[in-house]
Amino acid sequence: MPKRIYISVGLLSASIIAFQLTLMYLLSIIQWSHFAYMVISVALLGFGASGTLLALARNWFIRHIKIALPVLMMLTAVSMSLIMIISNTVFGSFDSYLLFVDRSQVLGLVITYFAFFVPFLFGAIAIGLVYIHYVKKIGGLYFADLIGSGIGGLLTLVLFWSFSPTQLPAVISTLPLLAGILLIPAGLKMKFTPLILAGLLMPIILFINPPRLPMSEYKGLSGALNLPDAEIVAERSSPYGQLSIVRSPALRYAPGLSLTFQGTVPVRDVIFNNGNWFGPVVEWSETDTSHFLDYTTNSLPYIIANPGDLLLLDAGTGLFAAHALTRGVENITAVEQNRIAVNMLKNELAGMIDSMYQDPSMNPVNLHPRSYLLKDDNLYDLIILPTSESFGGTSGINALEEQYTMTVEAMNEMWHRLTADGMISVTSWMDYPSRAPLKLLATLVETHENNSSLPAEDHIAAIRGWGTITFVLKKSPLNPDEIGRIRDFGNQMNFDPVLLPGIDQSERSVFNQLPDDDFFSHVDRIMSADRYRFYNEYDFNIRPATDNIPYFSQFLKLGRYGKMQEMFGQSTVPFLEIGYLIVLLTFIQITGAAVILIILPLFAIGWKGGGKLYTVLHFSGIGLGFMFIEIILIQQFILYFGNPIYAAAAVLSGMLICSGAGSLASGRFSKGRRGIVKVLALVIFFILIYTILLTPLLRLTINFPLTAKIFLSILFISPAAFFMGMPFPLGLRKLAELNDTLIPWAWGINGCLSVISTALATIIAVEAGYIWVMLIAALAYGLTLSANLIKN
Amino acid sequence: MAIMKLAIILLVLSVLSQEAYSQNFERMRENMVRQQIQNRGIDHQATLRAMRNVERHLFVPRAQQRRAYDDGPQPIGYGQTISQPYIVAYMTQLVNPGPGHKVLEIGAGSGYQAAVLAEIVEKVYTIEIIPELGNQAKILLENLEYDNVEVIIGDGYFGHESEAPYDAIVVTAAAEYIPPPLVAQLKDGGKMIIPVGSPFLVQTLMLVEKQGDRITTKNLMPVRFVPFTRKE
Repeated sequence: MPKRIYISVGLLSASIIAFQLTLMYLLSIIQWSHFAYMVISVALLGFGASGTLLALARNWFIRHIKIALPVLMMLTAVSMSLIMIISNTVFGSFDSYLLFVDRSQVLGLVITYFAFFVPFLFGAIAIGLVYIHYVKKIGGLYFADLIGSGIGGLLTLVLFWSFSPTQLPAVISTLPLLAGILLIPAGLKMKFTPLILAGLLMPIILFINPPRLPMSEYKGLSGALNLPDAEIVAERSSPYGQLSIVRSPALRYAPGLSLTFQGTVPVRDVIFNNGNWFGPVVEWSETDTSHFLDYTTNSLPYIIANPGDLLLLDAGTGLFAAHALTRGVENITAVEQNRIAVNMLKNELAGMIDSMYQDPSMNPVNLHPRSYLLKDDNLYDLIILPTSESFGGTSGINALEEQYTMTVEAMNEMWHRLTADGMISVTSWMDYPSRAPLKLLATLVETHENNSSLPAEDHIAAIRGWGTITFVLKKSPLNPDEIGRIRDFGNQMNFDPVLLPGIDQSERSVFNQLPDDDFFSHVDRIMSADRYRFYNEYDFNIRPATDNIPYFSQFLKLGRYGKMQEMFGQSTVPFLEIGYLIVLLTFIQITGAAVILIILPLFAIGWKGGGKLYTVLHFSGIGLGFMFIEIILIQQFILYFGNPIYAAAAVLSGMLICSGAGSLASGRFSKGRRGIVKVLALVIFFILIYTILLTPLLRLTINFPLTAKIFLSILFISPAAFFMGMPFPLGLRKLAELNDTLIPWAWGINGCLSVISTALATIIAVEAGYIWVMLIAALAYGLTLSANLIKN
Repeated sequence: MAIMKLAIILLVLSVLSQEAYSQNFERMRENMVRQQIQNRGIDHQATLRAMRNVERHLFVPRAQQRRAYDDGPQPIGYGQTISQPYIVAYMTQLVNPGPGHKVLEIGAGSGYQAAVLAEIVEKVYTIEIIPELGNQAKILLENLEYDNVEVIIGDGYFGHESEAPYDAIVVTAAAEYIPPPLVAQLKDGGKMIIPVGSPFLVQTLMLVEKQGDRITTKNLMPVRFVPFTRKE
């Protein structure tokens, strides 16, 4: 086997990972992010389909391997570079938002699936073919594959910083092209010239003149750009997303403004991230003494007290900070993860606006809010959380976002950062049927209950306007003066108190009536000891989020779906909580397709015969288990590093590289059945250790310096990852001895199950929590172990 | 001669098919009113009459015409939609329009809601911020001889002060705030109706009522939720 095949496999794997991440990025900008998730999941089935094709046409591919490999790699390159042009053609008439109202869009969806599926299919056939033909070298080849993938993940980060999103597919396509060129047989170079030229020219042309992004006209950015004289005044791409600052004389922002406000709502520039609303560009001057937020329910904590030290979590563009400055707050710590946005506000935009980030009271912190809470030991008079949900409700679009700032554990940490009279304040948009405000209240009540033996009703105030409700949890009891001020504030602003010590039912909907009074009875049940029964009885999931199930915005209870259909109508229910349903739909689609892809080869290789049960069990188990662990580790390390992008890069690359090393060592480490069993037992052992010890270990070391944390994370990840890299090559070697016609089938099964596992892990995490995902990963490896205990 | 015959046949066929289409649209409109609107409890007679009269298919892009009477919103370009027929009817009923009324609409879109209102009230002022949409609506409403509709291209935030106060304000393009000028331009006893949420998902309606200095709001059931009330 030529040595350069290792390099080609590495390059191809790097390009596939980079391309996958780039597609995710591009589709999130162009369309709706859940749709991106669905399309990419289906596209990745190219790996499963490659196994099916290889199983069906194994002999043909092996006979032509010298030509097939470079051609497949070059076709991968060409299809990657053409993806933007295909996107423009497809998305010219297709819009994921219209899927809800126009069934003809389904055809567009199918074409989209196919367009994105093709590059993965070509690439996966090439890798699978190498594995089949050179199975004796599988340890080294799988090592090259995993190392390539690891480097591809890191490379993507660099590319995201360096190029515009539209140029990325062209840049990435040079990797498989190079991989293909390396494998062209010596005597055939001239015959390959047209393909090489096409593969080279296309990325060059598309790099110099990238096609436009066919952004959905229903995305926030498109809407803003339709306004008169709207223009993008600044734009910046990074792994945090594509930030665009839009200016128009008609862009205004005053969420939930009181109807008594008689001033002018100021015109603001607005920042969009990946085409979605991020926040208004906030100007501030020392002479500002009032703010439009004085006329919103967000003012509630300032009506109760005059805080001196404020902690803002997920501070965004700093709207609440500007409000705090006009309220005379002396020290503001604003924690925001998106450092590019903050840097733009602090530096690049400082010439355009009077940036409040220049004010000495401001202390901007670039970290995940939860990581900051775990590291910080200051005390604050007020902690403000970002507004929950959005205007008009989100219909579950954020259901799968892990919101570690909104968990009971996070609120407990906030409680310990409060001064004696300190407060936690959080605002939510109202929704119907009520979900977000109820879950928010439940979280605050449980936080109080966890930390105080006094009755919660003396510590919680809530006030509601026409669109928003603000809750304040105060460490000390609310006193009569404070209660009086809250009532006066409500009367001035046309806001109704919802929770106050001694509140009367008649006060609750004087200015703003709801469709029914159920909301108030629900609030009262949450305030009572009966709340746990209420969580079970209520048709939506309003049980507080926890670190184990941190999906604050996931309200759908699958068991109540039928009942909700009766209540709200069959055609309405999907629109209430669509985000989670999209994941379920994705899971159903990919599982259905995977079953077909796994069964099809059996028509060629036969239904009976030695090794089939072994193949299914062994490769399903590692396909599921590996991805489950990868997903969970990324989640866990987000808080550890305080940054989701670097966490994903560190875990993904660290795990793949360590697994690669495991694969390389697999040949020497273990021979025969006993060896595989030992490796699998070790993997299961490490997963169980992670389940018990990983979270406490990470919490314990979160304050360590970054270099120490990187060292520790490699130390945490490497033992399991090293052994997790072994079962795949060991399994293929065993198949080579047992029945080598099963190798392509095994490759397909592994590919299909890996894709299924991403959706399945999400569903298990939402329904049962991360601990169960870990335990099921251990079970999946147990399945592989059982396969190796069965005598073939 | 053969070509001439063919041309005549095609012309006759085209006239006949247009006639058939037109009758088809009329039937679809009648079905829309009965099944999507009356069955869901809309009983304001003037609104029902207006929904029967206004040719909704003329207010959607040509390619969408066959779906114009479907039970959902339809895209009209520039990220805008023509609302679900039921929402148009429900919003119209809620502001209780009558002869002699003056109504302001924010967000003309293709002009459909304005046309429905114009069937009932004396004068409709409708503001559209996107010039291309506003101009299309203006031409269409003129062609359909809605002389009592004035389309204004501009920023709806400011309302239309010169003709204020209004008996009703219909905001079809809602933002996270209610512009103070609109509240000011509402007549004492007037009503403002605002849909809240994505037209593709679940929208709620909010009714703002002004009685002297007192302004109150009423959140109504999400409109997608209203189930059909089947006639026994």
